[in-house]
Amino acid sequence: MPFDIHFLIRLIPALLDGAVITVELAILTFMICLVWGLLVALAQSKRGPLGWIAGGYIQTVRNTPLLIQLYIIYFGFAMAGFALSGFLSGLLALCIQNGGYVAEIYRGGLQSVSQRQYEAGRALGMRRWTLYTTVILPQVVARVIPPMTNQAISIIKDTSQVAAIAVMEMMKVAEVWVESSANTYDVFLGVALIYLVLTSVAGFAGKLSERWLAFAQ
Amino acid sequence: MKTFAPLLHSYWYLFRGAEMTLLMAGASVLPATALGAVLALVHVFGRRTARSALQIYLFIVRGIPLLVLLTFVYYLLPLTGIDLPPFWGVVMVMSLYYAAFMSEVFRAGIESLPQAQWDAARSLGMTRHLMLRIVIFPQALRLAAPPFVSLCVSLVKATSLVSIVGLWELTMASREVVERTLAPFQIFIGAALIYFCICYTLALYGRYLERRSLVGH
Repeated sequence: MPFDIHFLIRLIPALLDGAVITVELAILTFMICLVWGLLVALAQSKRGPLGWIAGGYIQTVRNTPLLIQLYIIYFGFAMAGFALSGFLSGLLALCIQNGGYVAEIYRGGLQSVSQRQYEAGRALGMRRWTLYTTVILPQVVARVIPPMTNQAISIIKDTSQVAAIAVMEMMKVAEVWVESSANTYDVFLGVALIYLVLTSVAGFAGKLSERWLAFAQ
Repeated sequence: MKTFAPLLHSYWYLFRGAEMTLLMAGASVLPATALGAVLALVHVFGRRTARSALQIYLFIVRGIPLLVLLTFVYYLLPLTGIDLPPFWGVVMVMSLYYAAFMSEVFRAGIESLPQAQWDAARSLGMTRHLMLRIVIFPQALRLAAPPFVSLCVSLVKATSLVSIVGLWELTMASREVVERTLAPFQIFIGAALIYFCICYTLALYGRYLERRSLVGH
């Protein structure tokens, strides 16, 4: 029976427990990707082997499904002798996959800074490090916020796939509850609502930081 | 070479899975594109009520993971008594889901045309129908083509999710082979390679379109 209040009282805390894992995964992935993606993007802008490796990495992860990467890491590593926990495998796969996308976002941002800015910085005798940290990157950061917000939302949604390797995040909790209670409507309505709240919060945070960093535009 | 023996013995099975993946992606892409185009037109030209209904649809689809919707339909369809084969259930969900993203791509294509194009067409006395057909749509489609192709890549990748709800395609096939051969690393790498070949071909085509669409500008 849908909307059984006694069922909901038991269900909601369980789902929220799962949501905590979902949020942990999403935030860790996003934080790591912000750094890792920038490194990849900077490496890719170089000529030579480092640039090729970074480019190859981006193409590989963008053109293979997250689920397969998850399986390779989770089952492959266990077979090779050093098993990673489900949470760690999930985190690693999410970072590897989304790192490729974040790197592409940074690349777009770096390319949108006009060449004259680099020349002007060099003409003023700035060192490379100073040029990047005080002139180039602040502009890049301001410009990449909207696509980065979308990526954060898609990371939150991607975490649901980690359920496939039995990490008890929200999606897996939902599956267990559906199978044990057969109350499909309530469980999925709850899950969908929590995901909507999480993604909306991410979208809202993106909007806020966009306004906050508008001065750098 | 010996380590990859399990893969060499079962590549034919994986290819059959890939065939199913392509079939599923192909069957979803067509309705998704058609519906996406209609929704984009509603978004640009529709009335306020239709537009706000569309906003709600986009909000829901963008905020909920595809896996949640797939699993929901998987558990729900038998309950509603609709006798739809699982394949078509999945195709339905995927096309409804991707239609939302397609509509955004098409809308961005239409809205990124400069106002001058509309003004020029109108000042030549074109009817709305003619203006859309020979001025707006050809240019908008050209702009929308590269992001459209990357959505197709994402759709092919997303078909891997249906293995979680028990449908047979490349990811499911590779999982079956892994259960038999106990060689997860090699088999999943093989599956990733097949996905890569499909998606990278699409991505290269997208890049070609992108270069071509820049020629006129």
